[in-house]
Amino acid sequence: MIVAFIYFVLVSVSILLTVQSAHVLYLMLYTWDRADAERRARAPESFLPPHLSFSVLLPARHEEDVIQSTIERVVRADYPSELLEVFVICSEDDTGTVAKAEEKIEELGREGLHNVRVVVFGDKPINKPHGLNAALPHTTKDVVTIFDAEDDIHPKIFSLVNTVMVQEQVRVVQAGVQLMNYQSNWYSTLNVLEYFFWFKSRLHYHAHYGSIPLGGNTVFFARELLMRLGGWDDRNLTEDADMGLRISAMGETVRVVYDDRYVTKEETPPTLGHFIRQRTRWSQGFMQTLKKGTWKEMPTRKQRWLAFYVLAFPRGQALLGLYLPLSLGMILILKVPVLIALFSYLPVLLLAAHFLVQVVGLYEFTGAHGLEASPKAVVRMAIAWFPFQMVLAYAALRAMRRQMLGRHDWEKTQHVGAHRAPTEEAESRVG
Amino acid sequence: MSDNTRPPQPVAVGDAPQRPARRRRPRFSVERGWFPPLGSKGKAALVFSLLTGVLTHGYHLFRYPLYLTDEGIYMQRAWSLVRETSLSPYTYDYDHAPMGWITLAGWVFPLPSQFETFGNAINTGRFLMLLVHVASVYLLFEVTRRLSGSVLAATVAAFFFNVSPLAVYFQRQVLLDNLMMFWLLLSLFVLLRRETTIRSVFGGGLALGIALITKENAVFFVPTFMYLLYRRIKGSPSSRFTSTLWPFAAAAPIGAYVTYALLKNELMPSSLDFDLNNPPADHVSLLYTLWWQLNRNQGTLLSHNGLLHTSWLPRDGILLVAGLIAMVICLFWGLRDRKRNLGFLIAGTLAFGYSFYLLRGSVVLDFYITPLIPMFAMNIGMVVDRMMKASYSSRMLQRAHSGLRVALPSLVVLILLAAPSTGYLMTVNTEGVTQIADQYQSKLNLTGMQHAQIAWVRKNVPTNARIVMDDDLWGELHDVRPFYPYAHSHWNASSDPDLRDKLFKKKWQNIDYIIMSNKMRKSILANNADGRENWILQALRNSDRVWSDTQGDIKLEIYRVQ
Repeated sequence: MIVAFIYFVLVSVSILLTVQSAHVLYLMLYTWDRADAERRARAPESFLPPHLSFSVLLPARHEEDVIQSTIERVVRADYPSELLEVFVICSEDDTGTVAKAEEKIEELGREGLHNVRVVVFGDKPINKPHGLNAALPHTTKDVVTIFDAEDDIHPKIFSLVNTVMVQEQVRVVQAGVQLMNYQSNWYSTLNVLEYFFWFKSRLHYHAHYGSIPLGGNTVFFARELLMRLGGWDDRNLTEDADMGLRISAMGETVRVVYDDRYVTKEETPPTLGHFIRQRTRWSQGFMQTLKKGTWKEMPTRKQRWLAFYVLAFPRGQALLGLYLPLSLGMILILKVPVLIALFSYLPVLLLAAHFLVQVVGLYEFTGAHGLEASPKAVVRMAIAWFPFQMVLAYAALRAMRRQMLGRHDWEKTQHVGAHRAPTEEAESRVG
Repeated sequence: MSDNTRPPQPVAVGDAPQRPARRRRPRFSVERGWFPPLGSKGKAALVFSLLTGVLTHGYHLFRYPLYLTDEGIYMQRAWSLVRETSLSPYTYDYDHAPMGWITLAGWVFPLPSQFETFGNAINTGRFLMLLVHVASVYLLFEVTRRLSGSVLAATVAAFFFNVSPLAVYFQRQVLLDNLMMFWLLLSLFVLLRRETTIRSVFGGGLALGIALITKENAVFFVPTFMYLLYRRIKGSPSSRFTSTLWPFAAAAPIGAYVTYALLKNELMPSSLDFDLNNPPADHVSLLYTLWWQLNRNQGTLLSHNGLLHTSWLPRDGILLVAGLIAMVICLFWGLRDRKRNLGFLIAGTLAFGYSFYLLRGSVVLDFYITPLIPMFAMNIGMVVDRMMKASYSSRMLQRAHSGLRVALPSLVVLILLAAPSTGYLMTVNTEGVTQIADQYQSKLNLTGMQHAQIAWVRKNVPTNARIVMDDDLWGELHDVRPFYPYAHSHWNASSDPDLRDKLFKKKWQNIDYIIMSNKMRKSILANNADGRENWILQALRNSDRVWSDTQGDIKLEIYRVQ
């Protein structure tokens, strides 16, 4: 009886995993699969004259190494400076970053550029959404956008968003973000490809069905919309995803633009510890957002289901982490019948399909950015594949534990600018 | 930002791209998926073709042809899946990949009376063949139409596929080849959709993979499929993904098959010994069987005693000769201008690939011709259409063209149907009398003889009798009460260790009855090169005939061993 129950569980979980994996695979390939989605994802080929003005929020914490160059890139973007204002947001204890930002502001001031300010906040919690809320009342322009301190933005990003917002009459635009340092360490290739598929394909699916967890930067909001929403939820570890779902629940259209030429370039976390902490935060944030229940306010069942599916994913990932060794053990110890074992073959097959798609994705990514994917990178990816999945599962488990213990403090991801050195050599192919 | 902002006019970044000169879009291109719409005439032709298929294959389905050994084997294995959850009631030796009888089992399982829903196991299987045929007619019609851009080509192809006596004879039978062709045509159809999406290409690959584990000879079509895929996805933004996922999807079902053998520890022969003169004794092996099959030689197809002259040409020489000529023409046109004549190249190479398989000199059985029938039909249809189009150049014919396009093929069809020598609808019997062809002859009930044979067994033979017979009776004796658990085919009795060494102990005295047909007698002799059936033949010599029936060249008998 117990054995029959175990077989039933093995078969059911195998089928469930197969269906889920197939769906994820479809989402990864959504843009490539559908010609209309591919067309919608594209950036316009020609830009309108500057019409909208932008308030740029640059939240930074202990970013002494990169903050100056980030300010420089934003201020020198290919857009009239009178239509841009920049706010570097720091907590009052982060004197190092404040000093560096003020040093840069002084330098720019000598050139006659006076559109950068530092906003310092002293109250708790010290985290990104709280900083954004602190700066929001200071903004004066049509559109508010966020960049992270380590972001390499494209000079034409404001022209692009100006064109999209004016032409298509949308009030929220999520532009592409791309990790670039795909050869930095053992997990960086897979991390880079996660971003690639997420922004290039999957987000378009979410936007199409009106249920989209937004990214943390290179996202543009009409200011009046943000004011109406009351800013970000500063208790939420993924305030960006939460904001996206709140906007979706309002019925607001979100336009996603992913064009390899105009992506904001970022870096993978420098160490495994940082990577795990970042993932833990994301997973926990999704769990918080799921618990919060904004997704239940969405108008259609499809939207609610999609939001639930995304937000519940970290829990599934954690359970998967527990299930995999368990199922392997059961197969080895129990010597399951051939038919049951063949059912276990299905998720393995899908896993292989995922890997193949990632390999092709690597060639797509490198091809689009003027880089070259070597067979060595593919071999490294193959070796890193399973450990990477286990790390993700561990981070999800860690998030579950933190959530149960009621720990909601912000674990910061360190930035060292690893994406800047290689990308300056390897310019975007058509940038 | 105000909602009523009037968008300023776009300004080009850099040089404004020149708008390409407006060109008239070609009406038809296989490569780009530009297929003419089916239209009302096309729909009428399609419905007509489907109805023809139902009639030619459905009428007289359970009476003609005679139940054959292979039909019995596949239904027997489907029975084993449904009743015993195993791939065969005997030792499964990987002689064929199992998807065909898995499909049969999937068909039978939900039916109200399962194997007896349509009278007996083979009839139930044959009804599925009818459904498969009708679905295949649709697929062949559409595939031909998309490769040629012509409803006429599709209609001609469907005509031969439906009406050829060769087609009717083999496509009514429960054969893996029929199921394989369905999956293959489905895969081809998917590759010929207007848009080649990743999903559709993946689905097409999966269908091809299923075809490959239904009947392995599908592999001879694969090069053409690969080329078609290459032409269809060339230059598309998703080509990297499609070109990777298509072979992956095709390999996935094969992977499942190999995994099955691996899990059963039956992938490799013991000690990795592939010696063909020394088969593995302790367990069967997928790779050994594959190796053995690859090394079988026969080479008698084209001889006077070969199947071509004794079976295929007598059944339908017209299809074979016309198909061969059409294939050569398609290849010529296709190779001469691969860019414009992609459809011809695809049709020609599909037929050529399988012809190569038949002619390469390995073992060929009677029904191996089945997959060539739709391919030849497709080639004939496309060549007929092209030749009819060529008549545009003649001023005289041009005037009469629209009528001619329908009238000329219709005339040929009428001749084919009316001429007794063709066997399409009429035939000349052995006494020189013209009559309705066997496949539609209401007076002819070949399977009725087999029913009578079974009825005699049930009435006169005890259920514990040890019987040697052919596989076509297996389902009747094992799935209908009273069961005959010791009734086994001569193939298994002479080769399966459990039967040969334990039940019969290779002694003729241990056989009680032999249920015989003249075809089985030939099979026993053909299978006895190494003397493995000597003890069965000895039993036959020491037996009395207790029942017999004859119709035409079919003779059925029952012997009681002394």
